[in-house]
Amino acid sequence: MTASAAMVTSARRPSRWRPLGGFLRRYARRRDGMLGAAILVFFGVLAMAPELFVGPLQTVVTATGGRLQSPTTEFPLGTDHVGRDVLNLVVHGARVSMIIGLLATVVTVLIGAVIGVVAGFVGGRVDGVLMRITDFFLVLPTFVLALILTPIIQDLVGSGSREILGIRMTLIVIVVVIGITSWSSSARIIRGQTLSLRERAFVDRARVIGAGPGHIMLKHILPNVMNLIVANAVLVFAGAVLTETTLSFVGLGDPFQPSWGQLLDAARQSGAPGLLAWWDFVPAGLCIVLVVFAFTLVGSALDDLLNPRRRARS
Amino acid sequence: MRGGYVLQRLGVAVATILAIVLFNFILFRLMPGSPERILLRGIPNVSAERLEATRERWGLNDPILPISIDDSGIHLAAENQFFKYLAATAQGDLGYSFVARGQEVASVLGQRLWPTLLLFGLGEVVAIVLGLALGAYSGWRRGGPIDQIGNGISLFLYATPYFLLGMVLLLLGAALGLPTFGMLTAGGSYADIWARLGDLAAHLALPLATVSLGLVGQYAIVMRSSIVETLTEDYVTTARAMGLRDGRVLRAHALPNALLPTVSLVAINLGYVIAGAVTVEVVFNWPGLGTLAVDALRARDYPVLQGVFLLLSVSVVVANLIADLVYGLLDPRVRT
Repeated sequence: MTASAAMVTSARRPSRWRPLGGFLRRYARRRDGMLGAAILVFFGVLAMAPELFVGPLQTVVTATGGRLQSPTTEFPLGTDHVGRDVLNLVVHGARVSMIIGLLATVVTVLIGAVIGVVAGFVGGRVDGVLMRITDFFLVLPTFVLALILTPIIQDLVGSGSREILGIRMTLIVIVVVIGITSWSSSARIIRGQTLSLRERAFVDRARVIGAGPGHIMLKHILPNVMNLIVANAVLVFAGAVLTETTLSFVGLGDPFQPSWGQLLDAARQSGAPGLLAWWDFVPAGLCIVLVVFAFTLVGSALDDLLNPRRRARS
Repeated sequence: MRGGYVLQRLGVAVATILAIVLFNFILFRLMPGSPERILLRGIPNVSAERLEATRERWGLNDPILPISIDDSGIHLAAENQFFKYLAATAQGDLGYSFVARGQEVASVLGQRLWPTLLLFGLGEVVAIVLGLALGAYSGWRRGGPIDQIGNGISLFLYATPYFLLGMVLLLLGAALGLPTFGMLTAGGSYADIWARLGDLAAHLALPLATVSLGLVGQYAIVMRSSIVETLTEDYVTTARAMGLRDGRVLRAHALPNALLPTVSLVAINLGYVIAGAVTVEVVFNWPGLGTLAVDALRARDYPVLQGVFLLLSVSVVVANLIADLVYGLLDPRVRT
C-alpha cells in the first residue's frame, strides 16, 4: 500500500531531471545543433589535453623544423617562420583560445545577469540608470573600447610572468576587458524576461510570505531566467572567441601562451601570406571559423528550444 | 516628423557623446605616468616653461572635477580639469603623438582619415548593393539553389574574422601578382594623374574585396528575412490577387517595405565595420585609421589611441542618430 502510494507520487511528481531528458531528446532532433555540438566536443577534447596529442608546446628554442617548411609527413601542417611545428601550435592554441573564451563568457554573462535581473526586478530609477548605461555600451563601438582599455590595464597591472590559474596576466586582462565591453546585450535580454517574471503570481506569493528582494531575485527569478542565460551564453562565447582572436591579432596577445589569434598575428608579421605559405595561417584560421560556426549553430538551436518568445512563435 | 522625436533622439546622441568624452577623460587619468609627461612625451628637450605652460593650458594645477567633496563639505569650482579638457576637445586639441615626433594628434588623424573613408565607403556601397540584391533574390526564390548556396556562404563568412579573409585574399592576390602592400607603390613616380589612379586602384582591389565580402553576408541575411516576412503581408497577397506580374509585386510592393530594417542595420553595423576596419587595414598595410590605431597600440602611443577612439565612437553615435532620423522619415509608425 505504502509502496504503491510512493510509486504513484513518484510517477505524478515531475522529476527534477525529466525536463532535461525531454529537452535533450528535442535537441538531438536538430541536425544543425548536433553538428555544432560535435565540432565543439572535438575542440574541447583537444583543449583539455593538448600534450597528449602533440607533446609539449614548441618554442623558438625547442623548434624541430626548418623555416617555413611546407607540409611533409614529419610536419603534417608544415612549420612556421621560426621552425615550430604548426600542428603542435594549433592544438595548443585550442587550449588558450577556448579557455579565454570560456572565462570571458562567464564574466560577460555574470555582469549581464546581475544588471539585467536587478534592473528588471527593482525597476524605477535603478532600472532607468542601469538601462541608460546599458544603452551607452550598446551604441559604443565596444571593440575600439577594448582596443584602448586592454593596453592601459595591461600597463597598469604590469604583465611580467605572473599567472592566475596557470593563465598569464596579459590574457587575464583580455578576459576582463571582453567582460566589461560585451555584457550589454545579455543584460537587455535578461531584463526583458525578468520584467515579465516579476508580474507572475509566484513572485507575489513569495513576497506575501515575507521574502526579501534579494531572496526573490536569487531563488525565484534567477532559476527562471537560467534557460535564457544558457542560450545567450553560447552566443556570447562565439563573440568572445572572435574578440579574443582580433585583440591577439593586433598584438595584445601573449606570445608565451599563443592563442589562434596570436598565431595569426605571428604569421602576418612574418609575411607568410605574401610568401604563399598558406599552412602557416590557414589551420589556425580554419579552427576559429569552425568554432565560431559551431557556437552559432548550437546557440541558435538552443535559442529556438529555450527562449519562450521563440518557442511561442514556432 | 514630429519635433519631439527629433529632439529626443538628438538629446540621447548629445548625452552619449558627453559620456564618451567623460570616459576618455577618466581613461586619461588612469594611465601610468603623470599627465604632463604623457602630453609632452616624444618632444625632445622640454623646458621648464613649456612644462608649466602645458600644465596651465590643460589645467593640471586645478581640481580634477567641477564638484569635489571632502571633510569641509561640497566644493564647486569653475576652473577645473574636466571643463578645460572639454574645451580643448571641442576645439579639436587632442594633445600630441608620442611617436610621430610630437605632431598634433588631430593632424595625424586627419591624414589617416581619407584612406579609411575611401576603403570603407566604397566597401559599404559594394556590399550594400550586392547584399541587398542577393538577399532580395534569395528571399523571393526561397529554397532555390541561389538561396541555399547563398545562405551557406553567408553563415560561413559571418564566422570568419575580416583579417583572416584578408590574409587568404592576400595570398591569392600575391599569387596573381596584385600589389598587397600600402596604398601606392613606394617611391613610384607617375606620368600623369591617370597612372597614379591606376596604381591606387590596383592597391585598392584586395582590401576592397575583403571589406565587401566581409559585409555582404550580413546585408543578405537581413534583406532575405525581411523580404520573406513582407511576402506574408496582406498587401502583397492583394497585389498578387490584382493580377500584377511577379516582378512588379516585388519591386513596387515588397521591396520598399522590406528595405526599412536594413536602414538601421547599416548604422548599427558601423560599429562592427570599425572593428573590421582596424584589422583589414593592418593586413594590407593600408595607411588608414586602423593601421594608425594598431601602430599606436604597439608603441603605447596613448594620445593617438584616444583620438582614434573619440573619432570613431562619435562617428558611430552620429551615424546612429542619422539612421534614427531617416527611419523616422521613412516609417511613420516610429515617430510617436
